[in-house]
Amino acid sequence: MRETFKVMGMTCAACASRIEKVVGKMDVVTSVSVNLATEKMTVETDQSKASIDDIIKTVEKAGYKAEALATQGSKTLKIIGMTCAACASRIEKAVGKIDGVISVSVNLTTERLTCELDGSKTNMSAVRQAVEKAGYKWAEVAGKNTVDDDKLRKEKEIKTLWTKFIVAAVFTVPLLYIAMGHMIPGVKFPIPSIIEPMNYPLNFALVQIFLTIPIMIAGYKFYTVGFRALWLRSPNMDSLIAIGTSAAVIYSIYATYKITQGHFMFAESLYFETAGVIITLILLGKSLEAVSKGKTSDAIKKLMGLAPKTAIVIKNGVEIETPIAEVMVDDIILVKPGSKIPVDGVVVEGNTAIDEAMLTGESMPIDKKPGDKVFAASINKNGLIKFKATKIGSDTALAQIIKLVEDAQSSKAPIAQIADIVSGYFVPIVFIIAVLAFGGWILAGHDFIFALTIFISVLVIACPCALGLATPTAIMVGTGKGAENGILIKGGEALETTHKIKTIVFDKTGTITEGKPEVTDIVTVNGIDRQRLLQLVASAEKGSEHPLGEAIVRGAEKENLSMLPVSGFEALTGRGIRVTIDGAEVLAGNLKLMHEQGISIDNLEADAHHLAGGGKTPMYIAVDRKISGIIAVADVVKESSARAIKRLNEMGIEVAMITGDNKRTAEAIAKQVGITRVLSEVLPQDKSNEVKKLQAEGKKVAMVGDGINDAPALAQADIGIAIGSGTDVAMESADIVLMHSDLMDVPTAIQLSKSTIRNIKQNLFWAFAYNVAGIPVAAGVLYLLGGPLLNPVFAAAAMSLSSVSVLTNALRLKRFKAYK
Amino acid sequence: MKTKILALSLLAVMTFALTACAQTDVVANTAVKSFETVLNTDASKVTRSADGYVLTSPNTTESFSFGKNIAITFELAPFIEAGLDVTKLPSNINADGDNLVISMENKDYSKETTANKTFEKLVKNNRDAVGYHAALDHYGVALGNGNMFEWAKDIATNDKDIVFVLDPQAFIDMGVDVENVEGWLFAKVETMDNGKKVEVDKLLKPYNIK
Repeated sequence: MRETFKVMGMTCAACASRIEKVVGKMDVVTSVSVNLATEKMTVETDQSKASIDDIIKTVEKAGYKAEALATQGSKTLKIIGMTCAACASRIEKAVGKIDGVISVSVNLTTERLTCELDGSKTNMSAVRQAVEKAGYKWAEVAGKNTVDDDKLRKEKEIKTLWTKFIVAAVFTVPLLYIAMGHMIPGVKFPIPSIIEPMNYPLNFALVQIFLTIPIMIAGYKFYTVGFRALWLRSPNMDSLIAIGTSAAVIYSIYATYKITQGHFMFAESLYFETAGVIITLILLGKSLEAVSKGKTSDAIKKLMGLAPKTAIVIKNGVEIETPIAEVMVDDIILVKPGSKIPVDGVVVEGNTAIDEAMLTGESMPIDKKPGDKVFAASINKNGLIKFKATKIGSDTALAQIIKLVEDAQSSKAPIAQIADIVSGYFVPIVFIIAVLAFGGWILAGHDFIFALTIFISVLVIACPCALGLATPTAIMVGTGKGAENGILIKGGEALETTHKIKTIVFDKTGTITEGKPEVTDIVTVNGIDRQRLLQLVASAEKGSEHPLGEAIVRGAEKENLSMLPVSGFEALTGRGIRVTIDGAEVLAGNLKLMHEQGISIDNLEADAHHLAGGGKTPMYIAVDRKISGIIAVADVVKESSARAIKRLNEMGIEVAMITGDNKRTAEAIAKQVGITRVLSEVLPQDKSNEVKKLQAEGKKVAMVGDGINDAPALAQADIGIAIGSGTDVAMESADIVLMHSDLMDVPTAIQLSKSTIRNIKQNLFWAFAYNVAGIPVAAGVLYLLGGPLLNPVFAAAAMSLSSVSVLTNALRLKRFKAYK
Repeated sequence: MKTKILALSLLAVMTFALTACAQTDVVANTAVKSFETVLNTDASKVTRSADGYVLTSPNTTESFSFGKNIAITFELAPFIEAGLDVTKLPSNINADGDNLVISMENKDYSKETTANKTFEKLVKNNRDAVGYHAALDHYGVALGNGNMFEWAKDIATNDKDIVFVLDPQAFIDMGVDVENVEGWLFAKVETMDNGKKVEVDKLLKPYNIK
C-alpha cells in the first residue's frame, strides 16, 4: 500500500535523511522516500491504513510534523474542538449513522475525519451537519485539486519569514552599528556617549543584549528545531545555526558578567552582533528560498488552477451551484457556453464544441453530441450541454495528470543518491570538524576568542540545504516545465535516463503517421471525371467499416460530394465490393478482384506500381466492367515527423522505425521522414524483442508508440514514450507521456532531460564545492597560510547565498523553450 | 502584529531606561572604589584643603586636588631646565610659585565630610571626565587638552598606582625638550578614540604608592 504524507518542519537534507531513516526502520514500511523540496513523504507499507497513525507518530518522534494526504476516493474534513478519544468516537458514531456513509474514520491526532460516501444517498453537507450536531466545528481540508489552501499556506509561510527577517534586520542594523561601526577603518561612526564601550561598557553590552533578544525571538525556530534535533541525535542545519549563534551569545553573556565584575576589556569580547547578523542573514536566505521554492511548483499550481471550483448540478429539475468536492458520480451537470467542464462525464443533452487543449493540445474545439465524453477543465465554447458525471475528484483525467506530475516531482533521481548519502552524515561531521578546529587552534596557542570565532564560522558556513535542494528543485522545475509543454515525465529516474538515450524506435502507425488513412491520389482513365469516380466509390463504401472504405467516404465528404443511392451491394471477401449505382455495375477492390473479373488494367499498372512504392494502397475501380481508375489511400505522415527525426539526428540520436507493414511500404514511409533503420514486418508481440536486440548493442533505447498495442515494447525500452491524450491508457505503461500528438515533443523531452540533468549536476557541483571550499576556509586554513580569518558574519552570508544560488540555478530551467 | 510591536517598543524603552540607570555605570562605580583603595593606602598623603582634598605623590613633588577645582600640581623646575619659556604658558596651565597647575572646575561642587565622598560626588558630577584606560588598566580624570590624573584599578596588581599625565605638545610649544624633562617619561600610550585604538604621545610620571 502506498501512502503520501505532507511533512512539516524540515529545513535541510539532513532532516529528510533522518525521517527516511526512522520511518524506514518501521516493520510495516517497505520503502520510504522524502522529498525536501516538495515536503512530501511517500511510504510503501505492507499493512493496511492502520499504520498511518504509527507513521505519523514516528515522524513526530523524530521532531517533525506529518499529515496524511487524502486517500483517493475519500473525503476529508478537519474537525475542530476534539479533546479526547471519546470525541473522535462520538463523531464517528454521528456520521456513521447517516444513510449513505460507507465508512468513517476520525483521527484525533491529525484532527481529520475521512469518510467514503454513497453519492446517490448522501453528500458532504450531511456529514458537516452531523459533525455540527455532535457539537464540533469543521473546516475544509485542501484536496488534491484545490490549490487555494496550499497556496495560502505557502504565502503565509513566506510572509511570516519576511516579517521575521524584517524584525531581525530592524534590530540587527543598530546592533551592528553599535558593535562594529567604530571598527571600520577611516570612518568615524558616532555612538551616544552613554553606550561608549570604554566609559560605559556595561551599557554597551546591555544595549546589545536588548537588541539581540528580538532577533533571537525572530529566529527562535532555529533553536527549538535545532536543539530538539540535537537532543534526538539527528542534528540538522538548524542545529548548526543554533549551536553557532548560542556559542556567540553565551560567551558574550559571560563577557557581560565579567564587565559587571570590573573587567571592562571584555567589552571588546562581545559577539552579540555575530549571532544577530547570522540569524538575520539566514532568515533572509530562508525567505528567498521560500519564494524560490514556491516558484518551482508553479507548473502544478497552473494545472490545479485549471479546475473550476463549482458545478451547476441539476437535482429534481432545479439548478444548484455546488462546490466541486460535493459533486457525485451520476449527477447531471449543466454547463453554459464559456464555462469550464467541472468533472469528467458523458454528454446527455445538447451539442457544443469543447476546447480540450489542456488535455490533448489540440487547438481546434472538438464537436460534442450526446454520448460523447467530456473532461474536467476543458472549456465549453458555444452550446449549452447537460452531462452525466462519470469521474469525480481524483479520478478525473486532470486529477490523474496532476497526480502524475506531483508524483514525478516528489520522486528522486538516481543522481540524488550521492547527495542523500552525504547529507546523512554531513551535520555530525561538520560538528566534529568545528570542535577539532576549535581544539586545534587552542592547542596551537591561540586564545579562546580566536578559536571560538573559528568554531562558529565552521558551524555556520556548512550548508546541507544546498545539497538537499540541488536535485529535487531541478526535478520539480524540469517536470513542471515538461507538463507545461504537454510532456508528462513520470519520475526522476525517467528524467535522468532520458538524457542518456542513444537510439529511439518509433512505431509507425499513429506515431509517425496520423494513424488514419486518407485519399492521397485519384487516377482516372477511359474518360471518367475524377469527382465522379470518387463519388461512385464513396457511395459504394458508405457504411463500410473497412479503414480504406472509411478513408474514401471521408475523402468524398471533404469535397462535399453527395452520396448516390446504391443497390445490389455485395462484399467480395478479401478482394473488394460490387454494387449497382444508377444502373451501372461498380467494382472496387484489389488487383486480385480485377483479375478474377477479367478486367484489363494494363494502362494503370505503372501508376499502381508507383503508388505502392510510395507506401500507398491502390484500389482499382471498374464501371460496367471497364477499368475507370485507381483511388490510392495512405496513412499520411504527421506534419512534424520529419522535423522531429531531423532534430533527433542532429542531436546524435539514432532513429529507427518499427512496423508490421511490409518492407516496401515501411521503407517508403521511412524515406519520407528521413529514417534509415527500418524494422518492418514485425508482429506486435515481437516489437519488444526488437527493442531488446537494440539494447543488446549496448545502447539506451527509447520506444515511442501510441501506448496500446506497443505496451510490451514501451515497457521493455529504457524509456517508453507514449503519444496520446491524458485519458489514454498509455499513461500507465510509459515513462513519458506526450499529451500532444506532435512528434517534436520527443526531441523536446530529451532536451528537457538533458537540461535538467545538466542543471542538477551544476547544482550538486556548486553545493559540494561550496561546502568543500567553505568549511576549510572557515576552519582557518587560509589564516594558516598567511591569509585572512573568516568572520562568522561572512560565513552566514555565504551559507545563505549557497541555497539561494542553487534555487536560482534550478529556476533558470523555467526559461527552457520547447522545440517547435 | 500589534502585540509584537508593543513588546518591541517596550523593550526599546526598557533598554534606554536601564542604560540610564546609575547601577549600570560600572566604570564610575569601580573608579570610586578603586580610588578609595588608593586613598586608604597611605592616609598621610591625603590632606584636607580649604576647597576639598589633596592626594600627594610619595615624593611630595606632585599632587592631585579634588575639591572646588580638580587639578594636578607638579614641579616647575624640571620643565624650566628642559627649556620651558614661562611667558608662553597657555591659559589652562598656571604657574603657582615653584609649581605648575592644570585645573578645571568641579561641576556642582559641594563640601563633603570625607575625601571618598568628595571624590564620589566628583565622579557623579563630572562623569564625562572620568574614564577607563584599558591599556594600563587605569581609571583617570581628564583635565582637558590631554592632561590627566590616573590611578590603577587594582593597585595590588599594578606597579603604576597613580600617574600624572601631561600632553607633551603644549610643552613642546613652550620650548620644552619633552624627552629630557627630569623625572618625567615621554612615551607613546595606547588609548581609545571613539572606540578605535590609537597611540598618542604623553609625558608620564607614575608612582608606586604601596
